[in-house]
Amino acid sequence: MSQTQPPPLRYIRYEPSREDEYVAAMRQLISKDLSEPYSIYVYRYFLYQWGDLCFMTVDDSRPEDPIVGVVVSKLEPHRGGPMRGYIAMLAVREEYRGRGIATKLVRMAIDAMIARDADEIALETEITNTAAMKLYERLGFLRSKRLHRYYLNGNSAYRLVLYLKEGVGSMRTSFDPYAAPADARLEMSGAAGVPAAPAPPPLLQGNGR
Amino acid sequence: MFPNSGASAPTMRVTSQSVVPRDITDEFTEAASKLSTGQLVKDEYFTLFEAVGALEIMDSKMDSGFLGPNENHAQALEDDYDITRELAPEEVVGIMDGLLCHEMAWHMGHPLSQTLFTSLYLDRLLWPVPNTLDEARFTRGSADGRNEEPALVNLVLRAYCMALVKCCDYVHARVAAEYYYEEEDFVTQLYNRNLLSPFDLDPFLDLLDRAAAWIEEQQDGINEEVRAAIKLRIEFRRDLLLGLYQDIDVIQNRSSDNFRACLSRLSDLAQSASIGKPVPESFSWKVQRRLASTVPPRPMVNISQDDALAHLKRLCQDGIDLQEILDYRGPHNFKVAVWTMLSRKPQPSVYIRSLLQTLIVNNALVLGVVPVRDFLYDELAELVLPTSILLQANTDQTEMPSNPRFQIAQHMDGFVKRFSQPFVDTFRSACLNRCRIRRTVCHTLVDWDNLQMEAEDLDEQLRTLSDEPPLILSNGDSTYSYPFSSWAYHQKLNQFRLILQLGFELSIYSPEELPGMYWYLSHICSTHLGHLDRIRTFTVATAKRNLTALAGKKRDAVERHAVLQKSLRLLERLSTQVVAVDAFAISLHALYVLLDRHHILPTASSPQAYSSERLRYELRMKPFLPITLPELVPYDDYRREALLEGDSDGAVLERATKAITEARKAWETTLANGAFSPDQPTPTTPAIEEDWKKDVKDTMRACIGTSLAIESLKKGLAMRNTSKGSSPDGPSVDLRVDIPEVGSKARFHDWWAVPQISHNTLRSKT
Repeated sequence: MSQTQPPPLRYIRYEPSREDEYVAAMRQLISKDLSEPYSIYVYRYFLYQWGDLCFMTVDDSRPEDPIVGVVVSKLEPHRGGPMRGYIAMLAVREEYRGRGIATKLVRMAIDAMIARDADEIALETEITNTAAMKLYERLGFLRSKRLHRYYLNGNSAYRLVLYLKEGVGSMRTSFDPYAAPADARLEMSGAAGVPAAPAPPPLLQGNGR
Repeated sequence: MFPNSGASAPTMRVTSQSVVPRDITDEFTEAASKLSTGQLVKDEYFTLFEAVGALEIMDSKMDSGFLGPNENHAQALEDDYDITRELAPEEVVGIMDGLLCHEMAWHMGHPLSQTLFTSLYLDRLLWPVPNTLDEARFTRGSADGRNEEPALVNLVLRAYCMALVKCCDYVHARVAAEYYYEEEDFVTQLYNRNLLSPFDLDPFLDLLDRAAAWIEEQQDGINEEVRAAIKLRIEFRRDLLLGLYQDIDVIQNRSSDNFRACLSRLSDLAQSASIGKPVPESFSWKVQRRLASTVPPRPMVNISQDDALAHLKRLCQDGIDLQEILDYRGPHNFKVAVWTMLSRKPQPSVYIRSLLQTLIVNNALVLGVVPVRDFLYDELAELVLPTSILLQANTDQTEMPSNPRFQIAQHMDGFVKRFSQPFVDTFRSACLNRCRIRRTVCHTLVDWDNLQMEAEDLDEQLRTLSDEPPLILSNGDSTYSYPFSSWAYHQKLNQFRLILQLGFELSIYSPEELPGMYWYLSHICSTHLGHLDRIRTFTVATAKRNLTALAGKKRDAVERHAVLQKSLRLLERLSTQVVAVDAFAISLHALYVLLDRHHILPTASSPQAYSSERLRYELRMKPFLPITLPELVPYDDYRREALLEGDSDGAVLERATKAITEARKAWETTLANGAFSPDQPTPTTPAIEEDWKKDVKDTMRACIGTSLAIESLKKGLAMRNTSKGSSPDGPSVDLRVDIPEVGSKARFHDWWAVPQISHNTLRSKT
């Protein structure tokens, strides 16, 4: 074996028992590309519920900081309708980019979702992030809508969607798909702005009674 | 990546007197000790949104109270800047310009906390919330609170700041009263402060006048050039304040004087900016720590003076040009004016869009004068019911319930109640940001599908009451006009087309979808043309029946004749436009089919993609799946049609060439017809007509680009036919295809993705 040949990268699934080690590395990797970090609760929200849909790339040649790529996802019924996978975060260390690591991670996440009977997969990506868009479009995602000034930095996004089964588009959702706040429908007869983000859950409003 | 913006949503705190606090520390510690690290305890209401909204204590980027290692409380909250200090006149100019940049950044959609509210001067004026205007002083809280020295600060800069805040108050009130998207378009959050909203305009004008007079007197103290720069800024602020104060009163005043005055000062404002000396220490991000907000402090937003002035310039120009939509000239022309104005690039600012929304409809009046009912009736009369008794029946005039006219009037009341809002919304939706227009129309399409069905019921009931004569078809069958559902279908087809065209504008479609999407556009257009023909057939039949009466020279028959002819001309105008779109779409469809067939069309998806073409078609048709009419094209039919299976290259080329010739002619006719139907009283609208013409001319340039692309392809195909040994799978044609991005120079029009085809000289021969 040649000495210059780096050891191959390993791809592993997230392991809850090693949370301290993994989450810290993951946060560092993901926060690097963000102007404002996600709180620890965001990581826990995903990892505690869908840790098996989180994958990491490990480079053993750098034991002090081995994790060089990560994908974080979730999978749940979308408004009571189709099983929708959602790719929340994807990051690869800068010097490891261009080697297909991100594609491999996303494929692992998608394959895991398919194994769990996903009907569709959705995600958002900044419109300036052409590398990410190319990656997902190569995998068969289509842009379904453009989201104006979606991110805190004022940049817009595309929602990218992949159908995995026929008939997903006509699947019935349990409540009016257009009335839900996350995708707020425009009731133009009311003269007030609809917040882009969902309204607080009913629990908060019932407080103190 | 999903957005990290949940934290910015205001949280609701409900406190009740009846809650008695109890120390639960021990119980909590006990319970928490049973959990392992990372274990999530949550109820079903804890969503991703809450997770994102949660803040992490002791993280400097999230915890607004976090102090750094060598930071004490005072340093964290307070700035050393002394706002009562004397300022050099150049510094006053610099501060004024800095404030203007922040003001425009706020107009652009950034929160006050990261823009204007970082100003320590504004902070002192606005907090604590002043009860009187007099309280809003830089010297408040100090011993000599009444002191006006130095006047440059306490008179001049204060007047400017106060007027600026009042400007923001008017903008805030207008936007908040209308439909906008919080954070996407605008941030209305005031952090428990107010923008001097309780106070009337006059004292602000007085302040500015006093400041201007004082500056005028300082010939000895302040250099001429600097004095002029300060005076200019005060005058500009006065004009802007008056322009924003006018707001919807523009309907009565019909004045654009203030915005014109602002606009005329902008170049001087830009030129004199270099005189100013910025005072960056008078702006501090720390102010955010004292604002009532759940959001951690974020970096100050700094936009350049050039960007600020460019935004301001467009605001003023749009404010002026808005005059051109104020005269009512029927729904068709009104719609053209509204959509043309709002399709300007860049899109008019959220303030202008909000103002336009109010002008379109306010208190059930369109443009302040036309009742919504009349507006709807005008639309129906223009398109489907010229001279019809249905629009003349009125319950006030006919009180006998047995009278069919009474019953018609009752049905019509119900119709108006149900349809006027969705109809007016087809105008108001133009005021949303472009992404939201498409998303909204995808939703309203479903509403209109239902409305069409309701209208059909109404048509059947009214047909009996109005005794409508049937139209006998050539095969002997009889049919009726179904005016209301016809009209609803026409609206829906307009929306179909808009969804597709905005899809091109927003770069939604991948290159390999282009053959299919242009085929689909032409499919919708030809459906629409057939429908317009149907409407026309009934109007022509009515006109024929009227001829008999016309021969008798009855006066009302002459009037009816004129109205019917007017309606026919409008139908003709609409058809011409749809033909123009249709022909262009057919040509691009054919062109893209060939590029695809010869494997020179760029593709976004790879052969290893997870989705199939069938699944991608289903996803793309998602907005149309629930629609009953026009029926969804089944995938296999779509594929056959969209790929022109069975047609030879020659036949497809021929199709592309013929269609683009027809398209060019139709767009020329459209241009010659002009933006507005001349059958309605036409006020002068030079700016909007200019925009409209530019749009058509850009489309014509895109047509020419398509002709060139077809020619290049023809040559490329001819060359291939003469050479030998081309492989069946790989690119056999020696051509390179580029599809210019929206916004690039080579993209002649956002709605038309015209490929650039060039000879691929770099390709090596094997």
